[in-house]
Amino acid sequence: MQSIIIRTLILSLLIWLSGCTVPPLPPEVKLSEEQELNLWRSGAAVYAAEGYDRYRLSFRQAKEDLIKEQSRWVWFQDYRVVQSEFRAVLKSGVALQEQVAQQKQIIKERIFPQLSSLKSRIATLKGITAAANEGRLARKDLIRAELLLSEAADRFAGGDYRAAEAKFKDLSGYLKAAEDALLPVLDRFADSSRIKKWRQMADRTIAESKDRGIKAIIVNKSEHLLVLYNNGAPLKTYNVGLGRNGYFDKLHAGDNSTPEGRYQIIKKIPQSRYHKALLINYPNDEDRRNYLRAKRKGLIPAGTGIGGLIEIHGGGKDSMTYGCVGMDNESIDDLFSLVSVGTPVTIVGAVDDNNSLSTAIKGL
Amino acid sequence: MKSIVKYLAVIMMTIFLLAGCGKQPTEEINAAKASVDAVMAEGAQKFAAEDAKKLNDSLQAAQDELKVQEGKTFKDFAKAKELLAKAKADADVLKTALPAKKEEAKKNALAALEAAQAAATEAKALLAKAPKGKGSRADIEALKGDLEGMDDALAEAKKASDAEDYSGAIERSNTVKDKASAVADQLKKALAKVGKK
Repeated sequence: MQSIIIRTLILSLLIWLSGCTVPPLPPEVKLSEEQELNLWRSGAAVYAAEGYDRYRLSFRQAKEDLIKEQSRWVWFQDYRVVQSEFRAVLKSGVALQEQVAQQKQIIKERIFPQLSSLKSRIATLKGITAAANEGRLARKDLIRAELLLSEAADRFAGGDYRAAEAKFKDLSGYLKAAEDALLPVLDRFADSSRIKKWRQMADRTIAESKDRGIKAIIVNKSEHLLVLYNNGAPLKTYNVGLGRNGYFDKLHAGDNSTPEGRYQIIKKIPQSRYHKALLINYPNDEDRRNYLRAKRKGLIPAGTGIGGLIEIHGGGKDSMTYGCVGMDNESIDDLFSLVSVGTPVTIVGAVDDNNSLSTAIKGL
Repeated sequence: MKSIVKYLAVIMMTIFLLAGCGKQPTEEINAAKASVDAVMAEGAQKFAAEDAKKLNDSLQAAQDELKVQEGKTFKDFAKAKELLAKAKADADVLKTALPAKKEEAKKNALAALEAAQAAATEAKALLAKAPKGKGSRADIEALKGDLEGMDDALAEAKKASDAEDYSGAIERSNTVKDKASAVADQLKKALAKVGKK
């Protein structure tokens, strides 16, 4: 009896010890762990955040169920349910990988044309700054936009599409700032009623040249052209520059704008600091009315006069004068010899609805 | 009867010995967590993202093994201790390597900043010598605006570097360097045309 009890106890102990051999885990567990790491590497958290969160929850749940199963007595361990859980995790992981790949492709296809259109928009605006001579206002913003575009293009090339797209927000901000600086200048040249008024001024000058058999000058700011008429027909054409703010109508002293309106030559200056100069009678009556109106509205800085000494002069056709119309010395030499005191000078913004600046705006 | 009691005692001792493997390795747990937390606080996720991820996964595996043993009647924390020791060791290795990684990233960022600054300085110097003849003054003004914008961008790159965003600083610096070099090349060609050096 004693030996039976002893043998039973030893046998029980041996059985119990042998039961400590742990059965192997389902291979799906390791595969899921590798899959989770690969999904992390692929940027699932960025490209399919919600799906990735759900995947991680189900992965974690499967792990918790595995822990519970592993905690049981070895004879009661059954990994079949846990194995099917991990198979479901793997299946959802595969779907998630596809979703990540699809999302990357969608973003890539969305970004690619934007890169081109932004590049084109920046180039158009840079061209406009060159035409409008508003480099001071818009170039800083444009170069910032250009730098961000380079960064976005590099990220795109490296497959980091979200990061590339993230650059567009700031980039658009800089572009808008550049456009906001340029559009007030350019909108004037897309305003049909304003262009009509300018065209009428030019037509009256040409008519006067014809009727009186005299020479007359018309300056077209949008095209940077000075046309000398004789008897109502174009005689000569010259390229000219304007003031630093030349595309605006002059309002007061120091605004660097080139005035618009009907004037005449009041003095010929053969030896000017700008080679030769033709002084015109700015301000005229309309200029004075505009100045007073603006002053009443508080638009003129305190102590600022209406300005004067607006000339057509030599020294170059860079648009960097204080408001005068600038020409090359050869051009002013020629013009100087053809005109006289009293020659009408009409300065307009544009005569054509489709002028250089209005067409540039359309490109934006 | 005496021998039955003797054998029973032996068996019970054996069982209790085996069950005695069942003390939670609290010291090892705290040590591993402390090491992992320390390396994360040093910026492991920023400067060694994949290593940080694997480290977190290792610690999680150790914690999972602890949970498995907690659920058992006869606990055996040997494997859990092993996993905790490995997590701690890996964290300590990463913590040792991290300052060098950060220093390398910082060095690269500063080098990129310097190169961009040099390119911008060269462009400004060339702009100062640019021929101010017919038709160029507006271009010069435009390029001045460009270089001012690049200065602003470089200031941002410096800020990024100071905030340890070294990859951001490098990215910004490199684009400025490329643009500034393009401006410098443009000016060199213009100067070559008029015969200036």
